[in-house]
Amino acid sequence: MISALKRAYANFRGFDTERRAVPPMEGPLKPNTALDDAAIALTLPDADNLVATAGGLACSTGAELLTLELRADPTRATPGLAVAGRRTLAGPISAIASDGADALAIGLDGGGITVLGGKHDGRKITQADGTKLTCVTAIAFAGPDTLVVANGSDRAKSADWKRDLMAKGASGSVWRIGLASGTATRIGQGLAFPAGLAISGSDILVAEAWRHRVVAFAGPDAPPRALLEDLPAYPGRILPASGGGFWLSLFAPRNALVEFVLTEDTYRNEMMATIDPAYWIAPALRSGRSFLEPIQGGARKKLNMLKPWSPSWSYGLVARCDSRMHPLGSSHSRADGRVHGVTAIAERDGTLFVAARGSGVIVALKASRLAGGAA
Amino acid sequence: MAASETLTRLRYKYLPEHLLGELLTKRWIDNVVPFFALIVAIIVFGTLIPDFFSASSLADFGRQVAEFGLIVLGLSIVMMSGGIDLSVASIFTLSVLVSLIGTNVEAWPTPLVILVTLALGAVCGAINGYLVGYLRLRAFLTTLVTLIIFRSIYDILFLSMSTAIISGFPDSDLLFFIGEGDVLGIPFSLLVAAIIAIVWHVVLSRMRPGWRLTAVGGARRSAHNAGIKVRRTVFFAYVWSGLLCSIAGFLFAARLGSTGADTGVGLEVSALTAAVLGGNSIGGGRGSVAKAVMGAVLVLLLTNSLVNLGVSGPITSTILGVVLLLAVFIDMRWLKHRNRLLAKVYVSPAYLTLPPAPDTTAPGSPYALNDKLRNVEIIGLGEIEGPEDVILDRDDNLYCGTRLGDIVRFFGPDHKRSEIFAHIGGHPLGMAFDRAGNLLVCIGGMGLYQVAPDKTVTKLTDETNRSWMSVVDDSRLRLADDLDIAPDGRVFFSEATIRYEQEDWATDALESRPSGRMIVYDPKRNYTHTDIPKIIFANGVCMCRDGQSFLFAESWTCSILRYWFDGPKKGKTERVISDLPGYPDNINRASDGNYWMALLGMRTPALDLAMRMPGFRRRMARRVAPDQWLYPNINTGCVVKFNDKGEILESLWDLGGENHPMITSMREHRGWLYLGGVSNNRIGRYRIPGADPNWCGQDDYWGPAT
Repeated sequence: MISALKRAYANFRGFDTERRAVPPMEGPLKPNTALDDAAIALTLPDADNLVATAGGLACSTGAELLTLELRADPTRATPGLAVAGRRTLAGPISAIASDGADALAIGLDGGGITVLGGKHDGRKITQADGTKLTCVTAIAFAGPDTLVVANGSDRAKSADWKRDLMAKGASGSVWRIGLASGTATRIGQGLAFPAGLAISGSDILVAEAWRHRVVAFAGPDAPPRALLEDLPAYPGRILPASGGGFWLSLFAPRNALVEFVLTEDTYRNEMMATIDPAYWIAPALRSGRSFLEPIQGGARKKLNMLKPWSPSWSYGLVARCDSRMHPLGSSHSRADGRVHGVTAIAERDGTLFVAARGSGVIVALKASRLAGGAA
Repeated sequence: MAASETLTRLRYKYLPEHLLGELLTKRWIDNVVPFFALIVAIIVFGTLIPDFFSASSLADFGRQVAEFGLIVLGLSIVMMSGGIDLSVASIFTLSVLVSLIGTNVEAWPTPLVILVTLALGAVCGAINGYLVGYLRLRAFLTTLVTLIIFRSIYDILFLSMSTAIISGFPDSDLLFFIGEGDVLGIPFSLLVAAIIAIVWHVVLSRMRPGWRLTAVGGARRSAHNAGIKVRRTVFFAYVWSGLLCSIAGFLFAARLGSTGADTGVGLEVSALTAAVLGGNSIGGGRGSVAKAVMGAVLVLLLTNSLVNLGVSGPITSTILGVVLLLAVFIDMRWLKHRNRLLAKVYVSPAYLTLPPAPDTTAPGSPYALNDKLRNVEIIGLGEIEGPEDVILDRDDNLYCGTRLGDIVRFFGPDHKRSEIFAHIGGHPLGMAFDRAGNLLVCIGGMGLYQVAPDKTVTKLTDETNRSWMSVVDDSRLRLADDLDIAPDGRVFFSEATIRYEQEDWATDALESRPSGRMIVYDPKRNYTHTDIPKIIFANGVCMCRDGQSFLFAESWTCSILRYWFDGPKKGKTERVISDLPGYPDNINRASDGNYWMALLGMRTPALDLAMRMPGFRRRMARRVAPDQWLYPNINTGCVVKFNDKGEILESLWDLGGENHPMITSMREHRGWLYLGGVSNNRIGRYRIPGADPNWCGQDDYWGPAT
């Protein structure tokens, strides 16, 4: 009763009890145009799941698995990319991990994990201890025979991430799976869309997207320990950086209106039931493509210009973090930019390749640009 | 439609929630709290005290109110000017004494007594006024000192004259009438006070001296900068205060015929309590006669009733002090939060359901998407800001308004050179040429103006009739938007909304309330009248070719309507189109007998859904910063052609709004279509395939040049 009254009062006064206020991008996350200024290594619609492999890079577009080669470009500081091979898999690819040698673990959206190459070639994992792996968002090799897997949601496929967010989903889990034995150990559950994974010593780092934070798990079912909280965007893939520390890609910006809609159940349910997800009030990987998309007051063109600081449904953001996940610097593509929806990052030979799925490009940055001060 | 949605619709149709915000914009809304306090006090004391409402006690109360009210009024006037007058009670008592000396001791005729008393009050006030106004001493300390001095003079004179006053007896019917007489059952002194109060009300609220007084109190430096003689204004505030106190003193003397050593003691605190309790701001700049009167009645009611109930004097004073403290507190909180409250409650969305938007991707759709407006010729890039409307004359000169308040003319035929044709101010919006070749312009924030070919600017109208039931003053034109001219010269123009200024048009979209209207201006009679009220954002206007009707756009309902101002269907309105995929703006004639219409923005499913949920939009307006609000998607340019049956014939798009987002107007001229946009920095020019290369709008309306 008392708490209901408190909630009603907080609601009346508009207090932010659920931490819905979107923090400004400041400090190490101060906006710049680094991603827009970066050289385009490859234009590839729907480019996603970019990983460094033994021979080069691999990525996916839909159900196609692509191997990429680096091509030195004398006119530019960073190398370009070229498609060296294509292979069509059974379904849309939602995650790729490389063991650093021949093996690739590939998550298929709605269809578990398939291992290609290496000694476990052809191994298929569709469930972990009874939980169906239908939304594999990230995979990491914890050794040649062990995978750590993030299952974003029990209810939605990875492609339906927007619906999971707007339904306030929190049914994600993280698993350690032995490739030889097939045993699965649960690391964490009830997570709000774990979208990225990294292994740091004995810790498993998980980007919990809908709670805008990165947490660390010390072991099976250990309580999560928040390393980085109150992010102004939804964190996705985490990549150990060659110079120590991590790269963190953030695939969509938080937005005050989205946070408001998340508190408005009637509107939100009606919106999810009747409107095409592309036209929701929700974050997106790309925006401004159709006049059916909602826009916000600050995003109106004035004197024929879309201001870079406009509120936007999509954004491009990669952050460089130290070994404790504290941000050190960041590269941005702002509201008027053309490298939006960064879903994957890979580092190779001192170059950071950023796959912007929203804009359909892979851009290349010098990895040292942001590595300064990395512990 | 679900039952709950029906309920929502009815609730938002019949509960006038927007009135709350409009009431809060009124200056008299400050009076609500003291007014209700007064009502409560009357009810409480009326039931507690027997004979409260009897004629004799009311008459006695009325006489006291007259005297006390005048003192409070005097103090309030000084407070409004930004000062304070603590010496009101001393001037009052001194006046009582001088009146009594005049009547009882010297036996002067009553008019002379009045004159001397008033002169005394004026002199006392002038002393205060000179010290505070001209020598710029602190009002509080100065009047505290004069309080003591005037009181001391009273005490000295009273000692020597008290016996003479008591022994003397005035023999004047006039004096008796002033003190005890009635007019139609109303005590004469109350009548005098009421007349003075009414005069002051008119002066303060309707006349220049009153406005200057308030201006000085509100912001002394700004008032000085505005050319108001600040010192003189302050000086006269004190003089008037002294005068009103002396009138009160004379009335008191006439009523009681005697005075005592404790007359007027502590009266300044009561008067101050009354003034503040009524809602007059201690800081100055805010106050009224009504506030003073309410405060005076309230305090007098309180003290008299407490005395009647047998409460002792010191306790009454304590209660009065607590009330003063409370009033000061409420005054401070109210002043601080009033604007915040207003900002929170003013936006009051209404329920609006739109028919399904046509599918622009359906095969054969007249809205078929294309990029015909993407690569058009561009005129005046970067030279102009915000050409909401464009128009061309017979000599191919192109005119447009800018947000800087100019009307810019680009010289034909190439439109490379330009000049400022007229500077008017505001933001010129819709334009039309009349028969004589004058350019008539609707100007946001100003009204309807005319620019003659020789560049002279004339205001045609800036107000219309006020509607009876409106809370906000809707006689002034806030957002005159577009116009067209009937063959007989009558000008029909739209006012988009009466609730918002031009910059806030999108907030009106969020509200989607019927607050726009269609107004007619008749130049022959110089008469302006609202023809069609309650339009949900009245926008573009275009005369039909029958000379009896015009088409107009109702933006937020995505509709085009036709109104007959003459002929057999006179006064009728018909909906011509009601399911546009976007929000219509200006409408203009096309050379082939059809009409062009600009869509200022496109409908989005998310906003359409929000339109059916007013509560959602209201909460959004309160919780979310305005630049994060949901808006119509105006980042796309679209022009459509339609006929007078309401059929869409073709569409021209600039998807993504690369060159022309938010097209608000278009004008066909000699085979080209010229495009304007209220927030663009350019004008576009599109070659219309197959259009009549000689067609000119001015000729089409008024015939070839003679």
